[in-house]
Amino acid sequence: MDWDYAIIGGGVVGLSVAWGLLRRDLRVAVIDGDDGAFRASRGNFGLVWVQSKGMNEPRYARWSQRSAAAWAGFAEELAERTGRSVGLEQNGGYDLHFSEETLAATVAKYEELKERLDGDYPFEVLGHNALRKEEPAIGPTVVGAILHHQDGHANPLNLLMALADDVRRMGGRVLTGKTVTEVTKPDGFRVACSDGTQVAAGKIVLSAGLGAAQLGPRLGFRAPVRPQRGQVLITEKLPKMINRPSLIARQVDEGGIQIGATNEEVGLDDGVTQPGLSHLAAEAIAAYPALARAQLVRSWGALRVLSPDGLPIYQESAEMPGAYLVTCHSGITLAAAHALTLPDWLESTGAAPDLEAFSEARFAVS
Amino acid sequence: MAHSDLAVVGAGPAGMAAAVTAAEAGLSVTLLDEQPRPGGQIYRDVDRAAARRGDILGADFTVGVRLTGALAQPGVAHVPGATVWAIEAGWRLLYTRDGRAAEVTADRVILATGAMERPMPLPGWTLPGVMTAGAGQILLKQSGLVPREAVLVGCGPLLYLVAAQMVRAGVPPRALVETQTKAELIAAFRHAGGALRNGPALAKGLGLIAEIAGAGIDRHTGATDIAIDGEGQAEAVRFRAGGRVHRIPARTVLLHHGVVPNTQAARSLGIAHRWDHGQHCFAPVLDGWGETERAGLFIAGDGAGIAGAKAAEAAGRLAALQAGRQAGRLSRGQRDRQAAPLRAALSRERALRPFLDAAYPPHAPALRPPDATVVCRCEEVTAGDIRRYATLGCTGPNQAKAFGRAGMGPCQGRYCGLTVTALLAEANRQSPEATGYYRIRPPLKPVTLGELAAMDAPARDAAE
Repeated sequence: MDWDYAIIGGGVVGLSVAWGLLRRDLRVAVIDGDDGAFRASRGNFGLVWVQSKGMNEPRYARWSQRSAAAWAGFAEELAERTGRSVGLEQNGGYDLHFSEETLAATVAKYEELKERLDGDYPFEVLGHNALRKEEPAIGPTVVGAILHHQDGHANPLNLLMALADDVRRMGGRVLTGKTVTEVTKPDGFRVACSDGTQVAAGKIVLSAGLGAAQLGPRLGFRAPVRPQRGQVLITEKLPKMINRPSLIARQVDEGGIQIGATNEEVGLDDGVTQPGLSHLAAEAIAAYPALARAQLVRSWGALRVLSPDGLPIYQESAEMPGAYLVTCHSGITLAAAHALTLPDWLESTGAAPDLEAFSEARFAVS
Repeated sequence: MAHSDLAVVGAGPAGMAAAVTAAEAGLSVTLLDEQPRPGGQIYRDVDRAAARRGDILGADFTVGVRLTGALAQPGVAHVPGATVWAIEAGWRLLYTRDGRAAEVTADRVILATGAMERPMPLPGWTLPGVMTAGAGQILLKQSGLVPREAVLVGCGPLLYLVAAQMVRAGVPPRALVETQTKAELIAAFRHAGGALRNGPALAKGLGLIAEIAGAGIDRHTGATDIAIDGEGQAEAVRFRAGGRVHRIPARTVLLHHGVVPNTQAARSLGIAHRWDHGQHCFAPVLDGWGETERAGLFIAGDGAGIAGAKAAEAAGRLAALQAGRQAGRLSRGQRDRQAAPLRAALSRERALRPFLDAAYPPHAPALRPPDATVVCRCEEVTAGDIRRYATLGCTGPNQAKAFGRAGMGPCQGRYCGLTVTALLAEANRQSPEATGYYRIRPPLKPVTLGELAAMDAPARDAAE
């Protein structure tokens, strides 16, 4: 057997898992796609985010909290090993509201979740004036915000690069430009690629994002993932004007204001549209009026990888034991958990987290 | 919201000729152009400059007034000062003019966005005082400004033309540092047959060289190891030629090693491109009328492959004729009758290119610069950075962009795109075609969020 693990998919999810396994001295090969592949890792918003996650499934909220709490150590270790900062800031984040009604309704839901989490859900409500003290650039139509202290953001591209770097440094083999055509398990696993490459491994992790929809069923998974488009904008670099991130806008470590994101069910179309861009621009200006004068320098569309209920899927194949499906929408938030905790689950150690809530059993037809 | 039978982007020779030909065929035409006055880069501001500086700029320039003059006809709505920042299928063209966003819809589109100078990333090329020869020429055309004691570096017809124009303006350059070699010139003569089909153009080129020689300007050919020295400002050009090292003091250095198609708009629409080995650049895949794989979208002029102003004019007219045919305004016979002489002209103009492409190839060290040289000026990414990203698994420029921000700046990757592709192709031992190019997205040119937001439907309704 060449490798202990073959990881199919070299995005942030696959590389985080690979990094975590290599750190435990396992031998890992990562099989990655080409330059034009759909890559949520290259297009995401970069939030390390807790609030609003798992409103109906506290175990998801806890899993997100666990990862967010592990992020600082994860970022520090990556920085030490690679000399690359991933720009992590965890000073809280906002959910901005333009109406008292939506603010009150959200607060009510957060209170309910807080109770189910035994009180571990540190948020506070800022009215317009209190928010203005924190964010002087905020606009007059923002009635208030929920400030959640477990929220933050990072530079997702630096994270991707640091992982790509360190996985190689630790002896991981990353095969690029590959398309997996077949996975068989005559004895151990054998992964075949369209260019004839063969990879033999003891276990398989399928973290191929949207690619799991095709490949998953052949490994015995349901893999009910679908694309959801998010369009994102970024402005020219500006002096500091936004202190904490929100779902509407954040100021990235290089200075640009990143504005997001649409939620569109348009299949495998990762294009941008003028209506999409205009809507995002209008919302961002409502939140931060000074942005009206900012130049847009880039925009992009990226495809979220969504399960029917929006929660991650962690599932071992019943048909092919030793093959694991790992997929989620929040690959940045969950990167620390995937790197530091998921290897325990894959290796079935005593420290394995209980991921039953995220199994595919929840999609069973009743 | 304005609707036209045809929208043309760019008022250079291809765009102007296309607009006029289409209007003559009875189509309503909107001609969007970034510049305040028509002409494109080649005939920049020709209506005013021809009168003031025609003697310096030459007859090949002043001939442009023929095209600008023809625009004044009812079928053509010329919209100057319009910066197109997005084109959507259907077709919608979104642009900014006077600080306001606007749109035009059209049944068909001709992209005539022309060429851009091939960036020449040499050590020291980002120093103040260094610019492209084309930028230097625009100063001359538009403002009559000529830099004193400049050194011209690179190769190609434009380098000679700019040098000759500087001589005529009474401000001759200090020297020409040329990168092409005698061997390349000799090898180019296997294409001499094609070149001779366009005798007048060849004669003009030789005339320019004679004019430069007559003015007593030093010409160094086969220059290698070129670097621009200076502390915070260009001070000298250093190079090796004729077996020894030269250092010519210069506070202005004009670089040029050819032009390449500006493919950004076509790329933003996902049009397939092929690698042109002779011209060392990508060019869109087109049919004989200049139509792309997407029905109703045409590309004409140097944006489709470098062939010069006269070829651009012919190609613009051909695309317009086919648009007229598709719109039912021209019969097949009418179209083909008008097309025949245009095809002959196009073939004559194109016949010269293999010779020029072979005689004045791009300077190889500037296609794949040394590690320390910046290739992406917007984000200050070096050639060495790009090579390192290849070792981190970047098979193409989009992954390299994610890792190092090359191509993320305000120029949208126009200036580093080909260099990044070339560096990755070499590092990964792949062809440029397999390596690919940046995924180009709107905005093609920066636009303010306020302009964008003003087009937001709910906001607009609320304001009304």
